[in-house]
Amino acid sequence: MAFVQNFPFLSILLSLFSGPLCSILSGKWAKRVNTGVIVTTGVMSAFVLQHVISTGQSYVYQMGHFPAPWGNEIRVGILEAFMACFFCAVMLLCMLGGIREREEQIQESKQNLYYVMVNLLLCSLLALIYTNDLFTAYVFVEINTISACGLIMIRQTGRTYEAAARYMIMSLSGSGLLLLGICYLYAVTGHLLMSNIREQVQFLAQTGQHHLSLMVALGLMSVGLAMKSALYPFHTWLPDAYGYSTLSSSAILSSLVSKGYIFLLIKIFCRVVGFNVVNESKVVNVLFVFGIIGMIMGSLSAIKENNLTRMIAYSSVAQIGYIYMGLGLATEAGIVAGLYHVLSHGATKALLFVAASGLGDASGNSDRFADITGAGLRNKLAGTAFLAGSLSMVGLPMFSGFISKFFFAQAAVGHAHKMFPTVIALALSTILNAVYFMKTVIRIYTPAPEGSVGGRQIGVWEQPAKSAALVCLILLNLILGLNSDPIVRLIQRGFEMFD
Amino acid sequence: MDAFLLIPIVLPMFFGALLLFFSFREKNTAPGGRRERARLCLYVSAVLGISVALALAAAWSGDRELVLFTLFEGVPVYFHVDALGRLFVTVVSLIWVLSALFAFVYMKHEGKEKRYYGFYLILYGVLVALDFSGNLVTMYLFYELTTLVSMPLVLHNGTREAVMAALKYLFYSMCGAYGGLFSVFFLYRYSDSLNFAPGGTLNQAAAQGHEGILLIAVFAALVGFGAKAGMVPLHAWLPTAHPVAPSPASAVLSGVIVKSGVLAVVRVVFYVAGTDFLQGTWVQYVWMTLALLTVFMGSMLAYREQIFKKRLAYSTVSQVSYIMFGLSLLTPDAFTGALLHVVVHAVVKCGLFLTAGVFVYRFGYTRAEELGGIGKKMPKTMWCYLLLSLTLVGIPPTGGFVSKWYLAEGALQSGTGVFSWLGPVVLLVSALLTAGYLLPIAMKGFFPGSEHLQGLEEPHGIEEPGEGAQAHSSRKALGPELSPAMLVPLVVLAALAVWLGVFPGPVSEYAARIATAVF
Amino acid sequence: MRIQYLLENYEEAVAMILFGIGFSNLLLQRNLIKKIIGLNIMDTAVYLFLALKGYISGRKAPVVEEGIQSVEAYINPIPSGLVLTGIVVSVSVTALMLSLTICLYRRYHTLDLDAISTQLKKEGK
Repeated sequence: MAFVQNFPFLSILLSLFSGPLCSILSGKWAKRVNTGVIVTTGVMSAFVLQHVISTGQSYVYQMGHFPAPWGNEIRVGILEAFMACFFCAVMLLCMLGGIREREEQIQESKQNLYYVMVNLLLCSLLALIYTNDLFTAYVFVEINTISACGLIMIRQTGRTYEAAARYMIMSLSGSGLLLLGICYLYAVTGHLLMSNIREQVQFLAQTGQHHLSLMVALGLMSVGLAMKSALYPFHTWLPDAYGYSTLSSSAILSSLVSKGYIFLLIKIFCRVVGFNVVNESKVVNVLFVFGIIGMIMGSLSAIKENNLTRMIAYSSVAQIGYIYMGLGLATEAGIVAGLYHVLSHGATKALLFVAASGLGDASGNSDRFADITGAGLRNKLAGTAFLAGSLSMVGLPMFSGFISKFFFAQAAVGHAHKMFPTVIALALSTILNAVYFMKTVIRIYTPAPEGSVGGRQIGVWEQPAKSAALVCLILLNLILGLNSDPIVRLIQRGFEMFD
Repeated sequence: MDAFLLIPIVLPMFFGALLLFFSFREKNTAPGGRRERARLCLYVSAVLGISVALALAAAWSGDRELVLFTLFEGVPVYFHVDALGRLFVTVVSLIWVLSALFAFVYMKHEGKEKRYYGFYLILYGVLVALDFSGNLVTMYLFYELTTLVSMPLVLHNGTREAVMAALKYLFYSMCGAYGGLFSVFFLYRYSDSLNFAPGGTLNQAAAQGHEGILLIAVFAALVGFGAKAGMVPLHAWLPTAHPVAPSPASAVLSGVIVKSGVLAVVRVVFYVAGTDFLQGTWVQYVWMTLALLTVFMGSMLAYREQIFKKRLAYSTVSQVSYIMFGLSLLTPDAFTGALLHVVVHAVVKCGLFLTAGVFVYRFGYTRAEELGGIGKKMPKTMWCYLLLSLTLVGIPPTGGFVSKWYLAEGALQSGTGVFSWLGPVVLLVSALLTAGYLLPIAMKGFFPGSEHLQGLEEPHGIEEPGEGAQAHSSRKALGPELSPAMLVPLVVLAALAVWLGVFPGPVSEYAARIATAVF
Repeated sequence: MRIQYLLENYEEAVAMILFGIGFSNLLLQRNLIKKIIGLNIMDTAVYLFLALKGYISGRKAPVVEEGIQSVEAYINPIPSGLVLTGIVVSVSVTALMLSLTICLYRRYHTLDLDAISTQLKKEGK
């Protein structure tokens, strides 16, 4: 066994233990440790990715060398390593972009606690990606929830407390359902490791036993995770939670946390239950329908919103809908498109949040539409970044959003029943996206009326960290948009490794 | 690989962006001094001149092609110069130069010139790229960019009305573009490649059994890209957006930008889907119906409209659908006529909008009934106007006659049942209406009758409240006739319009060659 | 669906009913404390269900006493382990929720989440 194969486990462990470590450090040192941890885990994941690509097959890492039914396992394939790498990169950029906001909005004495939460969040995301054990997945889902809640409420305003409370309530209902689903599956199959459950489920599906129980378990898990990742009817907590928390939090929450749950759901579909069984069940159709409704309703709510950050938050609802629509197609192409959209949305949404805060800086820290008029002229880089993000959302070729839309459509074309709903929903949602993003772009490039207060010029070098984050995120977006071929091939190969 | 193709695309974009950068830098938007303006004009004409020369050189020196990079499997960003692209690039370049010349004088009273020229230059690069596009996705990319970059020209004066018009334009174009994208999704699946090839690239074996859905896809592309060409049902943006833009901008919008919709339709129908596939299907008939409906409706609305630029915008709606109708007939003659009409209409409508600009610039006139007696004040302008109008109506020795002749000929030969005679009838009626809404202005302009003569002494209806007084005084200082920079484009355009009718040979032969390649 | 199944597996049925009670309390109650109680009922119901799955009637808890090492003597220990883990998770989540509730109560002097929302809207922040 190569030494590099220890890296996934080590990276989980590192981020887990650096959390408590941060709680006894000062804010400044905690920040350094946190940056170090994110970079280290990112580099480790990159090594793992390189290793897995070169060997061409996934491997299972047994913790403490206990064999299957007793031990806890980590499974690493191309897709897992790639996702881990991507998540680390985006998280680093989100943290980089929000340094000043964190210093302003979080109490001096609680600075270090923020990094505790971020480290734990990173740990739980990595664990969700790598784990091969359903109950471990549940535990880390809860850790993820708790740390995400911490990220929201650390700003300590009434709004964030309320948002955190609502987030917790929705999220806990979701975890309850997930846990119940896992218990069901355990009761039916008698295993907790994903590969073992899969064997049993395939056996049961062939013999036709316990059909109802399997469907119930699948449904419970899907609904639970859908609730946690803010699929349409369960999205009510999202705009408050993303809209009022501090910048790094909203960027991380929207671009990574919900994606961790979605990745887990994809794993459950493909590795736990097995694709054929999922395909037969009606659960995917339900997800498909709600995904489509979410795409439309999210955009409609975003149009009505008159606050920039909340508008972007609502647009997340729509984008999550896209991903569920891809899952709902229940074909390999659909899931690959969904996974690509996870990347694309992760990069774009982080970009938009950071850019929006940059625009807010240039408008007297307000993100109401009335105040940000002309903000793109006052803060050029943020304006450009917002423009790039908007174009990606609208689906201009060369940006990542176009590619994922194209893949969704390609996955849908030729699908027996779902072709027309998908393509029409894509059309509607693209147009709605264009309406509210282009409206905002026009507004930020319209010179502010005479005598308006609060605006000030912001140069590129005034906040070097944020500028660097913006530039990197724009580049990430362009890379995803211009260089999609190898990435998609990677996703496809990783997806094939799932079996 | 032929990097030379890239230069006329990137060059104006880069220098335009540079100009924009400087325009955003400067705090006050007050018009600069004379020398500064002269420098600006020099800069713009230098950049534009070089880019146009390079673009034409690139276009007329063989079938160049260039693969920039691969977007995803089998779909690169790919440029390829072919006969159709050459024609369009030439038209675009011509209109662009003339309209820029006009703008040098005109934009003085609109202000924010740097921003205008910045977007103007970028738009030229985008349009050249659109014409050089070698596959559907590249074309889609530059089609969207055309919308995005031309939008600032519409909202130039920044009033609420202009912004709303720009948003409407954006909304319609984006909706339409999505219709196009919709067809790309399907064509990608069922064709050999998305690269343009005369006659289409549809894969018969793969498309077998999916004709229904493919027809819907092509229809979506027609309606979608038709939005930019002002075809019913997505035509409503045109009469809103064109009048609020500054006149040189409406000239290029109406002369060239709407043609990008035509180009997109030609590319989808004749270069990807193929004519055989559409011949005799419901798509063809619906397309013909929509086009004829638009021709008639546009003319009627123009006839009733009193605001001069709005009237011209409705006229664009109607005239571009002549082109659409010609394309929809799917016969070589009609196709030739359509391409001819692209050239004729670009020249004529650009000229007409520029004359409208003259009226606004010199007198602040925007309504048709205010124009009585204007021929006495500026006879040269009015003669140009008359020639251009006659061309648009299609009176024999002008370009409009030739193109309409081909269209009618094509319709009669097309064998599309009722349409083969209904088409020419509608075209004729619409031509009469065109005469009815354009010629009275010329008549009133030259022979106003007694009651108008007094009103002429003092100009009224000034459009820019802030700069009104200043503009007013500058008008008096200008003297009775136009400055050459404004007059030259008009004269050139009018001469071209007539020349196209007297010597239609080269252009019509060129168009006919494209037609034979396509069918 | 025969009623007989329900009667045979009445423990599981009870667990599910409890889960339903907890779940609806968590979502529908307006009072934050009642929500937290609902959360706990829900979690406990799942643990009850899990414990039932591991229980084999007539056997003992898996603690080796009196040197009996035969597997036949004990119940399945894995669900019990899971329940223990779950309890830890649920305790921490409950603690977090309670602390949130305290924060909210100190600020707004009410436990009703909707009332807090309306108050926030009035403040207009």
